[in-house]
Amino acid sequence: MNSFRSGSSRYTVGLPLLLFALLALAAPSFLATQNLVNVSGQIAALLIVSLGQMVVALVAGIDLSVGSVMSLAGCLVATQADPLWGVTLALALGLCVGLVNGLGVAVAGIHPLVMTLSTMTFLQGLAYLLLPIPGGAVPPVLGALANGNLWGVPRPLLWCAACALAVYLLLHRTRLGLHIFAVGANARSAHLNGVRAVAVVVSAYVVCSLLAVVAGIYLAARVSSGDPAMGAAFGLESVTAVALGGIQLTGGVGSILGVVTGALSLGLITNGINLLGISPFLRGTLTGLLLLAAVCAQRRKVVGL
Amino acid sequence: MKAGLSSAAAPAAPRARRWAAALLALPPAYAGLAVLLMLAAVMRPQLLSAMLLPLIARQAAPLGLAVIGQSLVMRGRSIDLSSGGVIVAVSYLLTSGYFPISDAVAMVACVALGLVVGVVNGALIVKARASAMIVTLATSMILTGCVVALSQQRAPGDAPEFLRELARLRLLGIPVPVLVWLAVLLPAALLLRGTVFGRYLDATGANPQAAALSGIPHLRVIFLGHVASALISVLCGFILVGFVGKGSITLGQDLALNSLAAAILGGVNFGSGRGGMAGPAVAAFMLTFLFNFLTSLGLGEPGRLMLQGAIIAAAALAYSLNRK
Repeated sequence: MNSFRSGSSRYTVGLPLLLFALLALAAPSFLATQNLVNVSGQIAALLIVSLGQMVVALVAGIDLSVGSVMSLAGCLVATQADPLWGVTLALALGLCVGLVNGLGVAVAGIHPLVMTLSTMTFLQGLAYLLLPIPGGAVPPVLGALANGNLWGVPRPLLWCAACALAVYLLLHRTRLGLHIFAVGANARSAHLNGVRAVAVVVSAYVVCSLLAVVAGIYLAARVSSGDPAMGAAFGLESVTAVALGGIQLTGGVGSILGVVTGALSLGLITNGINLLGISPFLRGTLTGLLLLAAVCAQRRKVVGL
Repeated sequence: MKAGLSSAAAPAAPRARRWAAALLALPPAYAGLAVLLMLAAVMRPQLLSAMLLPLIARQAAPLGLAVIGQSLVMRGRSIDLSSGGVIVAVSYLLTSGYFPISDAVAMVACVALGLVVGVVNGALIVKARASAMIVTLATSMILTGCVVALSQQRAPGDAPEFLRELARLRLLGIPVPVLVWLAVLLPAALLLRGTVFGRYLDATGANPQAAALSGIPHLRVIFLGHVASALISVLCGFILVGFVGKGSITLGQDLALNSLAAAILGGVNFGSGRGGMAGPAVAAFMLTFLFNFLTSLGLGEPGRLMLQGAIIAAAALAYSLNRK
């Protein structure tokens, strides 16, 4: 795949490497195994939800509702005694939200920002209705799946790898993946060439919501309880990660490597701030500065959005 | 509601039909506000009293101001999500007591800050061709991060007496914040209707390429829109700080996304300004009235949020389907 379509450049790939090198030099405890395991546990949820955000960004959309979907999915698995039933319910929720978002954007022609803003608000209310205060109990089976090691590899890393592999297969080994890139690059050309653009856009939103559900289940399982405000920050956070990875919000340009580098950069910033004893509130400032640097390094043709 | 209007007017004379068509073409904010006012008249008549209505209008002033800036940039196919950060920074400058300067100097510093933020946003979007959404999100994150980190060290102080007084005052029975809102709204409406800048903005939004080829300074138009939007955010900050009376790091955080919703419900979309300046203003009042109405129903947080989301989606849906 060429760099024009992937959005990856030496800046997006170099950023996490640079941060890694800086932290390894500045903080001696950074390279300790336990710390690296912690980092992987911290970024897993962001990486999974950002993969979904990328799929939507590829069709020139944006999904702000992923945060509320994560919270609600976490609350669902934390309030259901049967893990299988809880996960099924959460996935069904993701399917419904994705369908509503996708149909609203593709069929009704509502701007994605407004469409997903309204579903975000609605689902946040639903999460508070289901679980007014943080609590509940996630079945231990799920907790065991999200913590510890399997064959010497931290389980969070396996969650990331599984989701990244699934999205890779979807984008580069299926017809839908090719159509997603085609619709994102030029919806009208794609339509004239026989691509059913509406179905493609709806599928992209469904994939995004389903990945947000997976991230929500993972996050709830990791702390073994639900929290109705758990995912609130992930909506804009995932957009940040995607943008840091060189993915264009105007559609058609993006790659899994970009999402990994973006999420990794954000995770390393958080970890570095903890290790170096910097005020955690400066994290937003640092991230913002990096974002500005990243977007300025990639000059586009269009002005505006 | 809209279907009911058209079927009632259809059999009448052509003039009535023209009226019906004009009504149907109105942004969803008008119909939404009419429905809300009717519902309130039946269910919570006290909301429509002469005492509460000006208070709701006062409360709508920050959103109404923010949506003016937002619609200016949206007409040029851009977006401004930085108002949250600007407002928090304004609140800190005015209330922290960290800087040994008088209130007037602090307010000038706030305006200077707004100017800097607007110029940075505009320059990065126009010169570096960076995505407006990312740039304004990033400036908001930078400002909020700095302020939150700084304000950990001391408790927030009181707002300048002048601003608190202004937020309480009324002239001829109209609260001063509403007058400030009108004082920005009317020039903005005139600017769009009667000046070259307004025509340039419409041309740029309608087709940026054609505007550039026609020699219109389309980049400068977008740049100026962002500067104006940031300065309006500072004004929102002044009013909000006056309302609360104290410094706060959560002030105006939902304003950026709500102003986006209000602009679209008011008929302004990316690259088009069909709703003019009146549509977004009505939408700002509609949303604020909606929040008050839902609170007065005693639904509690979950029900309030769910209804709010559903109503915004329904209004956007009605408008989109109607335009097809």
